[in-house]
Amino acid sequence: MTDRTAVAHADPRLGDHACLDAESRAYGVPLLSFEGIWRHWGRGRDRWAVLRDINLQLPPGTAACVRGCNGAGKTTLLRIATGILAADRGTVTVDQLTAAHSWREYHRRIGFVSAGDRGLYARVSVRGHLEYFAAQLFVPRAERERVVAASLERFGLLELAQRRADRLSQGQRQRLRIAASLMHSPRVLLLDEPRNSLDGDGLETLNGAVSELVAGGGAVIWCAPAGEDQAFPFDQMWVIEDGTLVAE
Amino acid sequence: MNVLSMYAGAILATIRRDAAIFVSYRFRVVTQILGVLFSLTTFYYIAKLVRPDAVGARGQYYAFVVVGVVIMSVLTAALTTAQIVRTELMQGNFERIMISPLGPIGGVVALAAFPVLYSTAFAGVMLLLAVALYGVPLHAAGIPLALVVGALGALAFTCIGLMFVSALLAFKSSVGPAWVIAGLSLLGGAYFPVKLFPEWIRWASEVQPFTPTVDLLRHQLVGTASLQPVELELLKLAAFTMVLVPIAITVLRLAVNTSRRRGTIMEF
Repeated sequence: MTDRTAVAHADPRLGDHACLDAESRAYGVPLLSFEGIWRHWGRGRDRWAVLRDINLQLPPGTAACVRGCNGAGKTTLLRIATGILAADRGTVTVDQLTAAHSWREYHRRIGFVSAGDRGLYARVSVRGHLEYFAAQLFVPRAERERVVAASLERFGLLELAQRRADRLSQGQRQRLRIAASLMHSPRVLLLDEPRNSLDGDGLETLNGAVSELVAGGGAVIWCAPAGEDQAFPFDQMWVIEDGTLVAE
Repeated sequence: MNVLSMYAGAILATIRRDAAIFVSYRFRVVTQILGVLFSLTTFYYIAKLVRPDAVGARGQYYAFVVVGVVIMSVLTAALTTAQIVRTELMQGNFERIMISPLGPIGGVVALAAFPVLYSTAFAGVMLLLAVALYGVPLHAAGIPLALVVGALGALAFTCIGLMFVSALLAFKSSVGPAWVIAGLSLLGGAYFPVKLFPEWIRWASEVQPFTPTVDLLRHQLVGTASLQPVELELLKLAAFTMVLVPIAITVLRLAVNTSRRRGTIMEF
């Protein structure tokens, strides 16, 4: 009970999340769990399994790296975790919730940075994006201004706050995309090749954000292409080969 | 902060964002007003060619057609929501909607909100221009009920728009709205009274929400005779809306789940 109170007190916004987290630690319940995930692409004779019986459990305070060649299924795995795609078989749970049954609460707990540089509005300013994303991610109204200011500061976007997204460099766009994925203090962060165009400072900021989330009892999956340098001291290292997850 | 206010906050934020994008194109409003002026002027002269007693009392055709043109702009905005969703898909922004607590259903409704609200407000501006420039006789006493009718009509049209979004997500096709807009303008009597139709096709003007909307608005705003008693038409419009809302949401949910299963939801 003391543990619950301590965690909940640390960040009152977390509320039930904090209680669940304390229970998860106490009973060894994974924060993020993939159980028997299968996903096929194509139809008929052209149908093939891109993911075969994926099982992965991330307890609170864990960072995992998932590597794979191009087309190995990393993005598919993360898209299933976000609920964008449905698995053909198997279940993904976050805090024991599934996207199918608790869409809102499930998605309040996850942050996602997709591969590439899309997902921004060309004519909207950096600040405008963060204000919009804060509301879309259900950050309480009273906290939005503070959260936006903190995100601008943390990701080195203060001087760019009024600049339109189409006038940002690729690296600046990536900082904005990462900032947006963390505004609601997610418990689980899913990163799909997040180093995209980040400079040294940007990578350091990202690593700092990941470290902080893990230290706070969160879980992170960082997908990276095969051969990329290890960017972070991960707790688990995996590789997707022929649709299966193999410890590296 | 309760859940409803979070949904409302997210939808309001989407409206603010779309408004910011809209005003960033500085000449858009100017070109829209110019387009409206050309349209109002064209119909002003066409009305002079129409038989004096063609619509209700002598010389009422201009007021009749102006209300039709005004409602068409709201219908068009609502039914082209699928194009907005398609643009979001192409730009990769729909993914952000999918992964938010707001979810795909709330997200699509939020995307429809600004165009429908803006077109409704702009419809009022069009009507005022017709009053100021061409002396359309506006009945001030009818405005309160007209606002209710306008809101119900806009909601019903939005539901039809959501069904096209469903078709877009499920089948990657958004070719329907153009012919539905044309069909509703014809069958709903946007430009001429439905009583001119032959008997055998008149039923078609009874089975969609456009006819009661445009007929009630005409009756309230410019005093043309309504096709049926006002209470009955209002009831029909409310019934259409109440039936269309759950159908639209259910169909959209089915389309989202189907395309999540197929893996095509982010395709366009």
